[in-house]
Amino acid sequence: MTESPSEAPAAAAGVAERFAGIVGSDDWSADFATPKVRVSRDGWIAAHAAAKEHAPFFSWLSAVDWSSEVAVGDPPDGDVEARFEVISCLGDLDGNFVLLSTDLPKDDAVLPTLVDTFGGANWHEREAAEMFGIIFDGHPQLTHLYLTDEFEGYPLRKTFPLLSREVKPWPGTVDVEGMPSEENEEAGDGDAEDEGAAEAGDGDADDEGDDEGAAEAGDGDADDEGEDEGAAEAGDGDADDEGEDES
Amino acid sequence: MTDQHLTAMHHSEVKVSVELETPEMTLNLGPQHPSTHGVLRLVAKVDGEVITEVDPVIGYMHRGYEKLAEVRTYPQITALVNRIDWVSGFANEIPFMVATERLLELEVPPRAQYIRLVLTEMARISSHLVFMSSFPLELGAATPLMHALRERERVLDLIEGVTGGRFHPNFNRVGGVKPAYGGGSSTKKMSQDLPAGFFDDTKAAMTKVEQVCDDMVNLVLGNEIFHQRTKGVGIIPKDKALEYGVSGPNLRASGVGFDLRQTGDYLPYADLDFEVPIGVNGDSYDRYWVRLEEIRQSARIVVQAIDGMPSGELQAKVPRIIKVPKGEIYVRAENPKGEMGYFVVSEGGRGPYRLKIRSASFSNLSVLPWLLPGHVIPDLIAILGSLDFVLGDVDR
Repeated sequence: MTESPSEAPAAAAGVAERFAGIVGSDDWSADFATPKVRVSRDGWIAAHAAAKEHAPFFSWLSAVDWSSEVAVGDPPDGDVEARFEVISCLGDLDGNFVLLSTDLPKDDAVLPTLVDTFGGANWHEREAAEMFGIIFDGHPQLTHLYLTDEFEGYPLRKTFPLLSREVKPWPGTVDVEGMPSEENEEAGDGDAEDEGAAEAGDGDADDEGDDEGAAEAGDGDADDEGEDEGAAEAGDGDADDEGEDES
Repeated sequence: MTDQHLTAMHHSEVKVSVELETPEMTLNLGPQHPSTHGVLRLVAKVDGEVITEVDPVIGYMHRGYEKLAEVRTYPQITALVNRIDWVSGFANEIPFMVATERLLELEVPPRAQYIRLVLTEMARISSHLVFMSSFPLELGAATPLMHALRERERVLDLIEGVTGGRFHPNFNRVGGVKPAYGGGSSTKKMSQDLPAGFFDDTKAAMTKVEQVCDDMVNLVLGNEIFHQRTKGVGIIPKDKALEYGVSGPNLRASGVGFDLRQTGDYLPYADLDFEVPIGVNGDSYDRYWVRLEEIRQSARIVVQAIDGMPSGELQAKVPRIIKVPKGEIYVRAENPKGEMGYFVVSEGGRGPYRLKIRSASFSNLSVLPWLLPGHVIPDLIAILGSLDFVLGDVDR
C-alpha cells in the first residue's frame, strides 16, 4: 500500500462529499475507501447526467437484494428493510471512482434506464434485469443477456435456491469446514488432535494463516495432512475443467 | 491488357454495382468460430459486405460465479475468480484479495506484495503474448504465433514454478501468498519462498521477452498487410470508450492515459519506474502497438521488482476461520484486459453477502453494437481480434 492508511479514507471522503454536491445529495459515506452517494429514485437519471461531467467513465451497474429471508448463504446481520439497492460505479481520469446508489421497493422494482446517458449501461441493465427482476423503463432491448430465453426466475435474488446445493450438499466428504450457512464451531476448541484433523481437511483454508493449529496437533500426521490437502484441493475446484484448453 | 480492355472492365464494374441489388441479409457468426476466443455468437445484419447492425449473443459460458460466491467462504472464492479470465488467472485474484484484506484491516507483508506484483506482471506478459500471437493469426499470419507462444511458455513455466499452476495458480491467501512447495507444517521448515534460481531465470526470461517484442515489430508492425488490415479499422473515440466502460489497453489505444497501476494503491507500483504507452487513433493498429509496448514495460517492472524484493514474511497473521466484518468495499485493479474490480458486501459472515464482479472484457465487448456497423465483414474479424477479450471474462 503506497498511500498511508490514514490518507486513503480522507481522500475517499473528499471524493464522496464532492460528488454528493455534484448530484445534489447529502447522504454519502466513504467507509473502506469506497465513496458512495445515495440518490433518490426520481433523481437517478439527473444524478448520472450531472456526475458524467466529472466522471465520464461508466464502470458498472448492478444491484443488491436486501432480504432477511435467504435460500442460500447467510442472512444479513440483523433486520434489514427488504429492497433492491441499485448501484452504479462511475470513474474519473484522476483515479477516483464513486458509487451511486438508490433503493427500489420489491413490489415496484422499476427504474428509468441510463442508456441515453451512458451507452455502456445497456448490457449492465440487461444483466441486472434478468438476475434481479428489475425493470429498466425505456430500455431498448430488455431481453435475457446470459440466461436462455426460457429461463424462469431471477437467480441472484436471495430467495432463489442454488439447485446444485439442494440436490447434493457441498462440499462433499473431503471438506470438514462448515459452509457459511452451517456454522461449524468445533474447529476452535477441542483437543489437539481434532484441531489438527480439522485443519488438514479444510483444503485451501489450511494454508490460510497460522500453522499453529497444525503445530499444536503434534508432528504426527504430517503425511496425512499433505494427502488430505491434496484431496480437498482437487475437490474444491468445481470449475477446474474450464479453462486450460481454451487458449 | 489494352486500354480498351480496361475501359470495358471499368464500364462493366460500374454497370454491375449500379444494378446489383443487395437486400439486407442476416449472417450468423459463431458460437463456434475461430475468431471469437471462446463461445461468442454474433448475429449481424449485412448489406452486401457491409455490416448494418450487430447483436452479440453471450452467456454460453455463464457460470454464475456471483451466486456461487454467496455460498462460499472468502478463501474458497479465489478458486472461482481464477477462472474468470483464464489467460491471466493470477491477476484476477489480486483485487478480490485486496478487498478482503481491507475489510479485515490486514497489513500485507511487503515481500508478499512484491511477489504478487511480479506474478501479476508476468500474467500480463503472458496474456499480452497470447494476443501478440492470436491477433496476427486471425489476419492470416501464422509465424508470429510460434515466436510469441515460445516466450509465453517460458513465463508460464516460471509462474508454475512459484505457484504450482500454469493457468489457475490459486496462489493468493488472505493476508499474503501461499508458501511454495505445497505449504503445510511438514514442509514449513524446508522452504516457504520462491524456488531456487527464480530471480536469475526470470531476468533471463524477461530479456527473451523483450527480444520477442523486437521480433514482433519486424514481423507484424512493419508488415504492409498488417497495416492495411488494421490502420483506421475499428476506431473507438475517447468519449465513446469512456461511456461504454472500455478500459485497459483498449482505452489507452484511444488516447486516454489512464492506468490504475499509476493511480491505485492495490500493489506497490509507486515504488517502481514505468511508462504507460498511449495510442493516438484508437484503431486496431494502436491496440496492438499499446499491448506490445506494455509487454516491454511489464518486463521492466518485473526486473525492478526482483531487484528491490524485500525480505520477510509471506503472510500476515490471520485467524484460522476468517470472519469478515460488516462493510461494503469496491476494489479495482489494472488487469491485462482492463479494469477488474470486486464489489464486496459483507454482513459479518465467513462468505460475502453479495459479490459483484466487474470484468473488463464484458464492457470492452459491449461497445460492439455501436462499433461494428459500417465496417465490412473482414474488418469484423480484425476488430474482434484487436479487442482482446476472453469469454470467461465476459460471461463470468
